[in-house]
Amino acid sequence: MDYNIDYKEFYDTFPSGYFCSLPNGIIIDSNKIFLKLTNYSREEVIDKKKFTDFLSLGEKIYFENVFAPALKLSGTLEEVNFNFTKKEGTRFPVLVNSVEIKDLSGKQLYTHYIIFNIAQRKKYEQELLKSKKNANELSNKLTVVNKELRDHDELISKQKLQLEEFNQHLENKNKQLSNFAHIASHNLRAPVSNLTVLKDLYKENTDINDKAMLFSKVEIVIDRLNETLNELIDSIKIQGNKNIVHDNINFDTVFTKTLEILDIQILDSKAVVTSNFCEASNIAYPKLYMESILLNLLSNSVRYRAPDRIAQIHFHTEIINNEILLIVSDNGLGIDLKKYGHKLFGLNNTFHRHPDSKGVGLFMTKAQIEAVGGSITVESEVDKGTTFKIILKKKNNG
Amino acid sequence: MLEQLIKQNNVTMFGTGSQVMFFVHGYGCDQNMWRFITPHFKNTFKIVLIDLVGTGKSDESAYDSDKYNSLEGHADDIINICDALNLEDVCMVAHSVSAMIATLAAVKRPTLFKKLIMIGPSPRYINDADYFGGFSEKDIEELLETLDSNYLGWSSAMAPVIMGNLDRPELAAELETSFCQNNPEIASHFAKVTFLADNRSDLKKLAIDTLIIQSEEDAIASLEVGQFVHKNIANSKLVVLESTGHCPHMSAPNKTIEAIKNYLL
Repeated sequence: MDYNIDYKEFYDTFPSGYFCSLPNGIIIDSNKIFLKLTNYSREEVIDKKKFTDFLSLGEKIYFENVFAPALKLSGTLEEVNFNFTKKEGTRFPVLVNSVEIKDLSGKQLYTHYIIFNIAQRKKYEQELLKSKKNANELSNKLTVVNKELRDHDELISKQKLQLEEFNQHLENKNKQLSNFAHIASHNLRAPVSNLTVLKDLYKENTDINDKAMLFSKVEIVIDRLNETLNELIDSIKIQGNKNIVHDNINFDTVFTKTLEILDIQILDSKAVVTSNFCEASNIAYPKLYMESILLNLLSNSVRYRAPDRIAQIHFHTEIINNEILLIVSDNGLGIDLKKYGHKLFGLNNTFHRHPDSKGVGLFMTKAQIEAVGGSITVESEVDKGTTFKIILKKKNNG
Repeated sequence: MLEQLIKQNNVTMFGTGSQVMFFVHGYGCDQNMWRFITPHFKNTFKIVLIDLVGTGKSDESAYDSDKYNSLEGHADDIINICDALNLEDVCMVAHSVSAMIATLAAVKRPTLFKKLIMIGPSPRYINDADYFGGFSEKDIEELLETLDSNYLGWSSAMAPVIMGNLDRPELAAELETSFCQNNPEIASHFAKVTFLADNRSDLKKLAIDTLIIQSEEDAIASLEVGQFVHKNIANSKLVVLESTGHCPHMSAPNKTIEAIKNYLL
């Protein structure tokens, strides 16, 4: 279809400013829209004005140094932003598209320019730029505040951990104190009562021989009282020694030494002692305590063997739940836990009226184990055997 | 050292002749501005073209704003390039601000140069008590604003890709047609350094034979400024071309070539 466009009408009504200039810059033609935009009459522009006449001085520098050379080199230039000056002096922002028209020999004939008024677009642009600037500033502020919060958070976490540690420490101390109070009242009461009775008897009695016998009984009680007090004091020393030095212990090495110490007792008893420390062969632990623990448990197992069978005693280590365990099992006399379970680790207790039994060991052993942060439990069946399970310490501390 | 300088300033060389003609472009564009001039001298001179650091295909990463806070930075680059190429008796053709850059180089190393040809020079653009430079400080601020508003689409992250990426020919093609599009931050900095500079006192120190080519109508470096330059350079000659605009070597190349030929040959 032929639409018969009237190009003259088109030229004057198409919705953008247009003008055309010679190589020296003089405008030789323009459309009505351009004149309307700049508020000039045709006579004032044609053959009179140049492109640069519509620009500010600062923009002229840009035109001469960047725009004109670029246009010359590439033949066409688009989307260049200028501010054009109207006749009355006010300015409006525009985008300029330009193209050079040359003749066949390459000589420049004239340049076409299309001018788009972008007043609204420019306002929008300024607002966007402002928002962008504000957003950036806000973002920076937020980053700073965020870091502050994070630092603060970290500080609080640290403090929380410290508080928890301290709390745990207080709990331990409290437990120790109440243990001590309980033990002191329990174990000191009996001997002191005995002494009181003996004192009264001694006072009442007139016979010299009876008095001598009573006094020797007093001596025995005083000795035992002394022992008890010493043990208590030692255990407090252990409990209070929070920063005891940990040595590098090899279980096999220490156990061998323990076997040597009890060499005679083991030979005598014909006990079969075995060990397996493969699963956890080393540990950082106070040397003295470890030696004492092994010695005490082995000595107990040998002493409380069943008379009618060969004693079989086994020491081994395990790692369960990231903790290092020492397990000592025997097939000896066993303990009636229902009767004596609660007294087992108490001070000065024995359960078998055995000639060599002193019962001191387990109390100290427990104190030592707990001082390093571990625990000890026992399973036992009368006349079958006993197993002691000692949690020595957490693996990652070892 | 030479290789590094060639990369830094995108140094291109061609032509045959016993003498060297060294072209330095002015503010705003790059060595492409000389493309209408050089063909007419390549059979009689060895031609050397450079891009000032921060323009054209120069090594943008070498743009140290401390070094180039004064035109001396570019002057030193020119001296280093001449030394690295073992040039002597150089005929330097410098446009606009580069006329001052060349002046600084020639004052520092006079034996390096034989002749200096200035096109549209200006030792100072901002008006002073008795001096007409043509502009106020406000005008220079407007220039900087115009620079900013015409670079909104520039992604400076793109620039290195365009500059160095040979396996993307469509970008290279784009670059070919996007002349005088320099890194906006650098362009802004260079504009400040150029248009706020004052090199009037350096003119008197110049001892080289100088030709000043001036457009009869130049809004950037007016006739008055050209005459000031002529007055203050001892061995200088002033030629006014029948041309308009600040870049007669682009808008009136033939007239420019004629003026240069008359002076050199």
